[in-house]
Amino acid sequence: MKNVSALLLIILLSLSLSYDAAGQKVTPERDKYVLLTMPYNQRPLNLYRGQVQANAGYKFAVRAQSFNADGDLVYLKNYGTGSVYHYYFVNLRYGLTSFIELGAETNFLRRGIREASVTVVSTTLTSAERITVNKLTESRGMGDIFLYTALRLPVQYKWFDIDITGGIFLPTSGYEPEIPSNTITSASLASENTSTINLHYNNTNGYGVPVYLLATASKISYKDFTVEAEWTMRTPGKEGQNIRWEETLAEKSFSYYNQLYSYLLSDIYTFDFSLHYQATGWFNLSLNGSFFRTKGGWTEYWGNKYRNPEKKLINLEPGFELQISPGLKICQLAGFPLSGKNNDAPFYMFTTLSYSIFPFMR
Amino acid sequence: MNQSAKTLFIICLLRVLSSSLRGQTEQLLVPSDLKQQTIVTEPVTLRKGFLRMGLLVNYRIADRFFDNSGDKQYYRNSTWSSKSAYGITLQYGITDRLQADLISEYMNSLEETQNTEVVAGTTVVTVDKHRGIGLGDSHLALKYQIIPEKERRFSFSGKMKMTFPTGAKNPRNIRSENQYDLPVGDGTFALGLNLSARIIVYPYSFSGYSAYTYNFKGTKVIRPTDTAESEFKIGNLFETGVAGNLHLNEWIVLGNEINYYNEGQGVIEYITPEPIPSSWALSYEPGLVFQVHRFRLGESVKIPVFGKNVPADPLFVIMAQYIF
Repeated sequence: MKNVSALLLIILLSLSLSYDAAGQKVTPERDKYVLLTMPYNQRPLNLYRGQVQANAGYKFAVRAQSFNADGDLVYLKNYGTGSVYHYYFVNLRYGLTSFIELGAETNFLRRGIREASVTVVSTTLTSAERITVNKLTESRGMGDIFLYTALRLPVQYKWFDIDITGGIFLPTSGYEPEIPSNTITSASLASENTSTINLHYNNTNGYGVPVYLLATASKISYKDFTVEAEWTMRTPGKEGQNIRWEETLAEKSFSYYNQLYSYLLSDIYTFDFSLHYQATGWFNLSLNGSFFRTKGGWTEYWGNKYRNPEKKLINLEPGFELQISPGLKICQLAGFPLSGKNNDAPFYMFTTLSYSIFPFMR
Repeated sequence: MNQSAKTLFIICLLRVLSSSLRGQTEQLLVPSDLKQQTIVTEPVTLRKGFLRMGLLVNYRIADRFFDNSGDKQYYRNSTWSSKSAYGITLQYGITDRLQADLISEYMNSLEETQNTEVVAGTTVVTVDKHRGIGLGDSHLALKYQIIPEKERRFSFSGKMKMTFPTGAKNPRNIRSENQYDLPVGDGTFALGLNLSARIIVYPYSFSGYSAYTYNFKGTKVIRPTDTAESEFKIGNLFETGVAGNLHLNEWIVLGNEINYYNEGQGVIEYITPEPIPSSWALSYEPGLVFQVHRFRLGESVKIPVFGKNVPADPLFVIMAQYIF
């Protein structure tokens, strides 16, 4: 009996203690959930080793104004030539190691730019003829595939990080414009003949030549605040050739022919500087200043090479990043053009859904 | 067993029992909790005495449209048109099954067209500029849970909606044929009936609805050059849709809706009656709704996929609600 009591006492004692012991489990410091939910101000510029991230984004831009060659703002909507811009992108990133990242990206865009309509009226003693010409240039299609590698400091991120990225845009998209789809409609009413000519040019997306990208970024965090700066340069690998469609109109019927021309893409430089505030572990607010500039390049017209106009644009982009679940994040930013030259000045909203996993980590 | 061993035995026994008992707490739902439910978990009508105020902002730019044969086309001439509506909603739970809605909206629309005309070597630029700003039409609705969710796993509700033409129905400030302010209201009464059903399978909710709106006849100045109001009737409207909402976490919901509407042919009673073409659209509307305590913030985009005689551009919607 004494032995049974002693045994019972030992069992109860061990059970009693086990409740306290259960609370003393040591959680692994950096398991995959910790890494997936790492706040912006505590994570490095690159992905962690073994992390796979898929991003899908949509940008809706309202092109209601543009900057002219003197840097003055032109209100396109006053001329009826404003338009919208739909841009979709997908991006896949993989952390080969904690300091080497591989990535691939492509996009799809669609936009139609209208020019001011012109009506020519010719009258005779007995009749009048009105011919209205509308012109629309549509750009639509898949972009080139961009492949890149990013290297960062081979140490665990504490408060400072720096990385360098090199990549190439492979000319995989069908960059040659398709044949125009111009139409003409006519109507006769009493002594007035009315014709409407709709010129519709079908451009595509993509560079047509390989384009190299070189970028570097750095990030410094202090408590809940982070500053990040990124410089990017894109430069064409070589001169390219493309076609330009021309049309002739005879007997209310269009016939088309194309002409070959050469071009050299301009170099593109961008510089971004952003300030981030980690409001809570799952919510990060940011304010980004973006500077865009093109330089060099030329385009051939009728056998002569003309220098591409230099473009500049400065945007202010407030945004946020929100952790929805361990694997899922949403980022959204709005873009406000501040100043520029020879460039559209659209207001835009950019939304990105980001999904991350560690497929090889338990 | 000696005294100290007995004491230890009792302490350990109590310790073990108390550990089990800690798991038997009961979750209490108080009104403040009920006011924090998401669009998935909340009842289809507000509870008795609850008041919700909301702001709904719609924004669309005219860039493309579905033509009469259902093909998607760009607007060809040089024109710019944007429309935003700021809807203000008040919702009140009269009983746990009956809810009253009062909805009004503030409209802001803009249309600008430029045409350059060359006549005998002379260039004339004509700019049409129309802006419509002001209070639009208002709606009063009553929604009743015919089959409440408390009793079955799904709910079935009916909603009656009356539209009052509180918005200015005629063009105003007519300076010329090309320069005037747009009307911000339809200028007609309308009566609608909506039947909807919903089932919750946490973390999902699925719903479907069908609605029919009868538009009464009205009179208004159709064109700014008209000297008198003309009688007209907008076609009646049929709408239906299905939705599936998913909790991404406890306070963020991913919404998905497919909806269809069909507006019948209307008529303007000129001397020779002029038809208002019928139109229809099938749209997909994904969205995100964030519930932060009693505050709800949502954003969605309605994308017309197919249609006829309707805009083909996405409609952006932002919603903010607070429940008192």
